[in-house]
Amino acid sequence: MRAGRIALLRLAILAAALAAWEAAARAASPLLYVPPSAVVPALGRLLTLESYPDLPASLALTVREIAVAYGLAIAAGLACGFALGLNRLLGRAFGPILAALYAVPAVVWYPSLMLFFGLDAASKIAFGFLLGFFPIALAVLAGIRQVSPQLVTVARAFGARPPTVFVKVMVPAMLFTLVGGLRTGLALTVVGVIVGEILGSKAGMGALINHAYGLFRTADYVALVLVTVALVVASDALASLVERRAGRWTES
Amino acid sequence: MTPSILVEGVAKRYATASGPVEALREVSLSVDPGEFCTLIGPSGCGKSTLLGMVGGLVPPDGGRVLVAGRPVSGPDPGRVASVFQDPGLFPWRTTLENVELGLELQGVPAARRRQVATDLLEPLGLRDFARKYPRELSGGMRQRVAIGRALAIDAPIVLMDEPFGALDEQTRLLMGEWLLDIWRRTRKTVLFVTHSLHEALALSTRVVVMTARPGRIKSVLGVDMPYPRAMDSAEMVALRAGLWAEIREESLRAMQ
Ligand SMILES: Nc1ncnc2c1ncn2[C@@H]1O[C@H](COP(=O)(O)OP(=O)(O)OP(=O)(O)O)[C@@H](O)[C@H]1O
Ligand SMILES: [Mg+2]
Repeated sequence: MRAGRIALLRLAILAAALAAWEAAARAASPLLYVPPSAVVPALGRLLTLESYPDLPASLALTVREIAVAYGLAIAAGLACGFALGLNRLLGRAFGPILAALYAVPAVVWYPSLMLFFGLDAASKIAFGFLLGFFPIALAVLAGIRQVSPQLVTVARAFGARPPTVFVKVMVPAMLFTLVGGLRTGLALTVVGVIVGEILGSKAGMGALINHAYGLFRTADYVALVLVTVALVVASDALASLVERRAGRWTES
Repeated sequence: MTPSILVEGVAKRYATASGPVEALREVSLSVDPGEFCTLIGPSGCGKSTLLGMVGGLVPPDGGRVLVAGRPVSGPDPGRVASVFQDPGLFPWRTTLENVELGLELQGVPAARRRQVATDLLEPLGLRDFARKYPRELSGGMRQRVAIGRALAIDAPIVLMDEPFGALDEQTRLLMGEWLLDIWRRTRKTVLFVTHSLHEALALSTRVVVMTARPGRIKSVLGVDMPYPRAMDSAEMVALRAGLWAEIREESLRAMQ
């Protein structure tokens, strides 16, 4: 019942936005402003590989860059988070630095990443990694602080050694926070890779978007953006599914 | 006979932000196998700290602690089971899974530990709550789950830190009777903490009164009466009056 109403509300807002967009675009220059009615055929041409035959390859490249960057961000984020969270000295020394670096607008690093890693996939992966790493590492730190010392004491009293305490107490107790961080990390990795591609690349979705945009193929540009949005929404939906699972398992 | 628990001249100081807190000073205590020994004393006098030492969770600053004749160097669930003041149930585990914790950590096969835990739920009045999570239980039920978790590992010594503190009076009396029954059948050594004079006198073979902080042993009262005890007998009323006089003095000091 409620879910139905929410869906209806979303649909209504979407319809209103599309109508407003159509009306505004028709009144303005068709070169710069594309009405939705022009996007639909452009999307058709895109998906049938008429306008951009290398769409599948570009999409695959972007997905691959995201996957590699995210994998690296998870590995480094977990390692760094646990190292700082479990070792008091390391945590004191580097915890504040981590939080401060997270506050820096990451895009300032991108030019140096391009200089260092070149125009190809490596610099996009590096940028996606950089964005995804922080929320994961910080979620681990926050999660460790959430673990109730009383539960650790209980586990020890019943014979748990430190590795068992880690698996049976710490991981479940921090799971919800951790999965939240992993979700944010994925979203930011996707942002990093796509922004990286748009700021300068020869391949991938960002490159296609740049191409269409540069040639004033505005309808194609919007169609490409829609495909990218679909990619992002799909990845986030997957992450939110995992998060809800974890939430049901742990206590919120 | 080797005492189950032997505490000799232990002391404990906690370092806190506002300077050291002396929790225990020169505490000695010996508990024989099969005894039901109760600690009673004002809040903050170090009862939980003393239990923590016996359980191997709190290292003493001085003196020594022996369990079954051996120095305590860490938790030893084969000998000692604990019911904590804060029940500390795992929120992501059901009642049954919480009760199973100790057996699981000892590597007991799943079917066997499920059987042990299930059998314990009936007398604990938790049979219908086996698959509920702690957040779905009342405070008293949570405390009973914690008791079940300690009894499940069947250690010869059980430390119980105000296990009935969160219960209403009626349940408390019933749980006391139930515990007494278990203790008399299994002959476990129990080191018990309570603030209830009635509970101390109804259950214990010996009541140990502690002083206000820093905690020391003020007096020891043997209660040599058959169970179940008639709490309104003249003997019991006199014992209770004496115990109250001892505790009253310390509680007044603790409040100053
Ligand atoms: N981990 C700790 N760090 C610092 N101080 C502590 C710690 N544990 C206990 N204390 C202090 O030591 C003293 C004794 O504490 P303890 O918990 O043993 O008392 P208690 O007799 O169990 O009290 P209650 O009846 O209220 O449970 C208290 O003053 C308490 O503040
Ligand atoms: Mg206490």
